[in-house]
Amino acid sequence: MPVFHIDDQPVEFEPGEKILSAALRNGKKIPHYCYHPGMSIVATCRMCVVEIVDLGNGRPAPKLQTACSVDAADGMKVETMNKKVEEGRKLVNEFLLINHPLDCPICDQSGECTLQDYSFEYGSGKSEMDYSKRVYGWRNIGTFVSLERNRCIQCSRCDRFTREITGTNEFGMFNRGHELTVDTYTDRPMTNKFQGNMADICPVGAITEKEFRFKRRVWKLKKNRSICTGCSTGCNVTIEHDRNEVFRLKPHENQNVNKWWMCDEGRLSYRIMNERKTRINSPLGRVGQNLQDISWEEAYRAIAERIIEMAPKENEVIALTDTHASNEELFLLKKLLKDGFLSDNVFCPLPKWEQIESEFFINTLITTDKSPNRAGALALKIKGDAKNVGVKNLIDRKLKMAIILGCPFEKENDFHQKIKQTQLVIHIGAYHNCWSDIADVVLPGQNYSEKKGTFTNKLQQVQTTDIAVQALRRSRPEWQILAELGQALGYKFDFNNVNQVFGAMSEEIKAFSGLSFDQIGDKGIKLTKTFKDNGMKLVKETT
Amino acid sequence: MVEETLVLFKNIRKPEYSKTLEGYKKAGGFQTLKKVFGMKPEKVIQTVKDSGIRGRGGAGFPTGLKWSFMQKGSSKPSYLIANADESEPGTCKDRELMLKDPHLFLEGMMIGCYAVGCHHGYIYIRGEYFPAIKSLNTAIEELYADGLLGQDPMGSDFHLDLTVHSGAGAYICGEESALLDSLEGKRGQPRVKPPFPAISGFNGCPTSVNNVETLAYMPFILGDGGVDAFKSFGPENNSGTHLVSLSGHINNPGVYELRMDVSMRDIIYEIGGGIRNGKKLKGVIPGGSSSSVMTADEVDVLYNFDELANIDTMLGSSAMMVFDEDTDVVKLLLRITKFYAHESCGQCTPCREGTHWSRNIIRDFLKGNGSDEKLKRLDRVGGNMLGTTLCALGDAAALPIQSFVKKFPNDFRKYYAKK
Ligand SMILES: Cc1cc2nc3c(=O)[nH]c(=O)nc-3n(C[C@H](O)[C@H](O)[C@H](O)COP(=O)(O)O)c2cc1C
Ligand code: SF4
Ligand code: SF4
Ligand code: SF4
Ligand code: FES
Repeated sequence: MPVFHIDDQPVEFEPGEKILSAALRNGKKIPHYCYHPGMSIVATCRMCVVEIVDLGNGRPAPKLQTACSVDAADGMKVETMNKKVEEGRKLVNEFLLINHPLDCPICDQSGECTLQDYSFEYGSGKSEMDYSKRVYGWRNIGTFVSLERNRCIQCSRCDRFTREITGTNEFGMFNRGHELTVDTYTDRPMTNKFQGNMADICPVGAITEKEFRFKRRVWKLKKNRSICTGCSTGCNVTIEHDRNEVFRLKPHENQNVNKWWMCDEGRLSYRIMNERKTRINSPLGRVGQNLQDISWEEAYRAIAERIIEMAPKENEVIALTDTHASNEELFLLKKLLKDGFLSDNVFCPLPKWEQIESEFFINTLITTDKSPNRAGALALKIKGDAKNVGVKNLIDRKLKMAIILGCPFEKENDFHQKIKQTQLVIHIGAYHNCWSDIADVVLPGQNYSEKKGTFTNKLQQVQTTDIAVQALRRSRPEWQILAELGQALGYKFDFNNVNQVFGAMSEEIKAFSGLSFDQIGDKGIKLTKTFKDNGMKLVKETT
Repeated sequence: MVEETLVLFKNIRKPEYSKTLEGYKKAGGFQTLKKVFGMKPEKVIQTVKDSGIRGRGGAGFPTGLKWSFMQKGSSKPSYLIANADESEPGTCKDRELMLKDPHLFLEGMMIGCYAVGCHHGYIYIRGEYFPAIKSLNTAIEELYADGLLGQDPMGSDFHLDLTVHSGAGAYICGEESALLDSLEGKRGQPRVKPPFPAISGFNGCPTSVNNVETLAYMPFILGDGGVDAFKSFGPENNSGTHLVSLSGHINNPGVYELRMDVSMRDIIYEIGGGIRNGKKLKGVIPGGSSSSVMTADEVDVLYNFDELANIDTMLGSSAMMVFDEDTDVVKLLLRITKFYAHESCGQCTPCREGTHWSRNIIRDFLKGNGSDEKLKRLDRVGGNMLGTTLCALGDAAALPIQSFVKKFPNDFRKYYAKK
């Protein structure tokens, strides 16, 4: 790669790359507002000015140049920290502030606002603007986001977003000069499913998420990397939380999966992480009609005793799971049935699903498969089919026991009725549902924000969730429950962490062979052996 | 005695001239186009280069060079667009041509289209120019009827369509890249450059944007007149005549065609007949409102590109606005700055905020709220728009402010010193 210099440091760049892009890629910060790597370059905020002391031909550029719009060149020398550049930034920031309401104390963006940050660095303590400021009224611009136009710095990122990213053209710039402002067209609130991203890319507090407004100051939020489990895409996110409460999900850049974006529905999936009403708080055992609190030891002992007593054979056992379970959980469930009962009777729902084809990448994110690990289930060869024929065939025979992980086959009343009649129903999961209602033993699991796990998305890329908040005191991660259950039944199931389970999985399952948990890292990793998902249907976008 | 030199106005200045196609042809029109059809386009461009003609739209960029940048062998069509947006305050020369001798300009445009390989040319015309729009459309109809537009004019195997597109009243749409956005049906805002229009212009295709007057010289340069005659009208690097829009406190305002080696003093006192009511000259805005102002004792320079650049101002669109000793310079600056505040597209920070802010400061002086500090602030705010914006409108707003403050400081002080 060719090289140029930023503040005497050599920086590699790809031919045709802009100075700012190359700088940011190499960890060199240059203040900017309007530039966004995913959208066209407009070079209008003028904040990213730098001095090019050598254009690569020995001559300097005649005046300060905008780093976002000028190509890096071999041998070019750029200065980003000298007096002249600083003056250049100062004047831009002064202009941006003269009409700004300076209402940081009541602004949600405060703490993650680039205008605030740069003003701190380049602003002046006093204003020389002694005229009344520009004021706009409130507008309802969409279901998901709120607009406070007085805070807008006219960077046009939002405008470019609906033009270039969603292609919905719902939002734009109106009027000109000093009155230039943003709005929706013809008073129609936006309906695109990705409005939250506009709050993310708005550098100031002009566009904010309605869901998050006034809930928490952002500097209180702690952040953990994870993935959205709202659908089979698995957009990379940070879970943002404070005092054990999750406040929002924000997309995290991953060029292989979601680029910079995520959908609004995915953002709302944070709500379930705080759900307490339907949470299973403790292991439960059935006494007559009622479920009663028991200890973990009691639960495992009771299960082991019943199983020894029943001595179920291969086809008298069934395990049902949803595809919300992690790869490790699915693997251990499968292993438990195989090692314990020589049984392959692990089933999950595998309905058909649709993948949208669109010239706008973002529209391809949302899938109709609202579970995060269908591909993991397929890779692990968990049984299933679109019409649940496999389960139906088995369920009519003499079943003695069933293990239910999560909330599979929620709408199949027939399954519930038949499973209820078996002698032992074990339900493992974080929330009460139709299965805990009929279970004999209920074991409290955890949700995505509380445990580690890997998931395989629709691209057959393995990604991880991480522990963001503290789990309920008496809950345990499902992989641990399954491991302990195995041990209680006397098998060699000594797994102390997810990494070990993943290791065993990569040894036993072809699709994962050669992969290790530590390899997955920030960007995810492709399955060793990929396959075709016959349940997927490509559909053209309807507009 | 200074007189007009008639290249573009040679027909217009004849009282009996009829601007119809017939009249134009009778005056020798379309002979050059016929000749040009027999030349290779490269040869046409070379001739234009040799003539040294610089664009008359304001920036003075060499036209031949601009055409030579047009991407050759591109799979996309090429476009030539005539910039007839003429909105620079003080400028009213393109209108003269379009109203009074439309075929001269159209022949020039057709030569340009041939040179750059354009088969559909657009004339982007200022929306308020109703009579000029009509005049052009009538002329274009005549050309189609005559077979000069459309397929194979004059037996050549060239084909060309021309379309008149009127703007909607925004000064910024005269800036070439904003013009292209507007022509594409978008909000007219200047684009980032590079890429320049010659590489990616109208609909992403190679495009040349040329001022009406610039194009109108082509029949002369490539025809009877020729390169040498054209060059002889001005000093080196300032070849040709130019149309001077003379306005302000002058006895004979109007549009005059002059050589490029005439002094500004002669233009004011001989061509313009001196200052109205026998008053004294106070200053001149030499090249449209975007140029730095000159004081009365600076006018002994030749009125051309290089001489004005030498004294830190510019020829711009050759629009000279003359003002007399009674003029309130602060009010004049307010008028100019209001214009830029109103016409700024607003996308870039310094221009959007700076034009409006400086307008407010200037107004303060008129309200009696001036001060030394405010004068300094005006200079600073104005200066902060200079060289910091995406297009030249920021400079256009900054230059008058800075030059007025520098050259007429007492006019500002007068407003607050009394107190
Ligand atoms: C703010 C602004 C307004 C402009 N307005 C006009 C105009 O009205 N007419 C024009 O010919 N050029 C105008 N220009 C110059 C054009 O951008 C362009 O340079 C010119 O049309 C090129 O033609 P030329 O090479 O023949 O001069 C303007 C430039 C700026 C920055
Ligand atoms: S609302 Fe935000 S993103 Fe949109 S132009 Fe204003 S500051 Fe930029
Ligand atoms: S597209 Fe799917 S994975 Fe991405 S945010 Fe939306 S629901 Fe979550
Ligand atoms: S300088 Fe002014 S007119 Fe030109 S692009 Fe910037 S805001 Fe628009
Ligand atoms: S980031 Fe370069 S001008 Fe805005």
